[in-house]
Amino acid sequence: MSNAEKKSTQSYLERLKQQALSQENYGGEIKYDQANVQVYDCPECAAARAPGDGLTVCAYCGFKFMSVKLSDGIHIKKVNNS
Amino acid sequence: MFGFFKNKYDNPALLEEIRQTEEKWFVFLDKLELRLDQLCAAAIPELIALFDQDSDPYKRAHSRMLTGLTGQISQMQQKAIEAKEEHIIPFLYASNTVLPDLISSAGRKYHDRLYRFQMACFERHHQFEDKVNEGIAALRSAKGNSDLEVVYQRQLTEFERIKNKFSCKQCGGKLTIQKMFFIATYIQCPFCQAQNTYTPSTEIQMLFHQARSLAEQRTAHLLQKYEESRPKNPALYQQYLRSMFDEWNKITPDMLEENERFYQRLLKDHSINHY
Repeated sequence: MSNAEKKSTQSYLERLKQQALSQENYGGEIKYDQANVQVYDCPECAAARAPGDGLTVCAYCGFKFMSVKLSDGIHIKKVNNS
Repeated sequence: MFGFFKNKYDNPALLEEIRQTEEKWFVFLDKLELRLDQLCAAAIPELIALFDQDSDPYKRAHSRMLTGLTGQISQMQQKAIEAKEEHIIPFLYASNTVLPDLISSAGRKYHDRLYRFQMACFERHHQFEDKVNEGIAALRSAKGNSDLEVVYQRQLTEFERIKNKFSCKQCGGKLTIQKMFFIATYIQCPFCQAQNTYTPSTEIQMLFHQARSLAEQRTAHLLQKYEESRPKNPALYQQYLRSMFDEWNKITPDMLEENERFYQRLLKDHSINHY
């Protein structure tokens, strides 16, 4: 391989590498969040949800948190329906 | 009739043309192969360097460069196909038409020569295609080391550190996260019964998707044992798959049921012979 050919392959690879690095990732930079805990209060009476009374309806004032019916998932089960 | 009494067909110019076309084709493919080798040899260390340099957890810069390189190689492949379709195949047809009928013995020598030419050219093209595939496979396997075990252990330590540090948003009572959750989940406050939503950190959420790769890294020696067995021993594959899934389940125990179904399917797929 001649030196000129070697150089052109190297410069091509260098360009390709720079392009690959400089191109912005789809969705932008990844945001790293810390673990956290939140509570979803009832907007009508400010009571928190209690699992014993189900998660879909406020046990105190009857406000509907969600209109869907829960099915069995990994952590949420059917019994969590109000 | 049938050319029995015809003079022998003689066309030295055609023989010369066949020789030249064959030579050109071989030289052309030699050159392409040389460029392919140069590109692969130079690109592999660059790809590995980029993999290590890339800070993105999905190594997307590395995949972009890999895509660019495979694109280059498929252009070479395309060039060879075009040259074959433009120069070799039309030449074969054109030469065949000027030769005496195939069933007469007059042009036997030429037909044989043409057949040898065709076989040699096609065989050379197959060799080139094999080289292209080898090159692409070599580029694809040129990755840096991503030791997922280290990442996993770091997250385990991190989880141990934070698991008792949460408090209920309703009453401020102390919450304990019982086990490592990979997706958002409800945690009930033991004091006021309020339902708190615990969202794990982004890094722990990512671990959920790396669990299979990590399990594969842990059991790579078993897969290698299976790959090296001659003839390939399905019992070894099952042994590998079982331990891989056991490792996977150890990392994400919540997915046990789903993983088991997946295990059965992979095992079944493996026993089906595709011809």
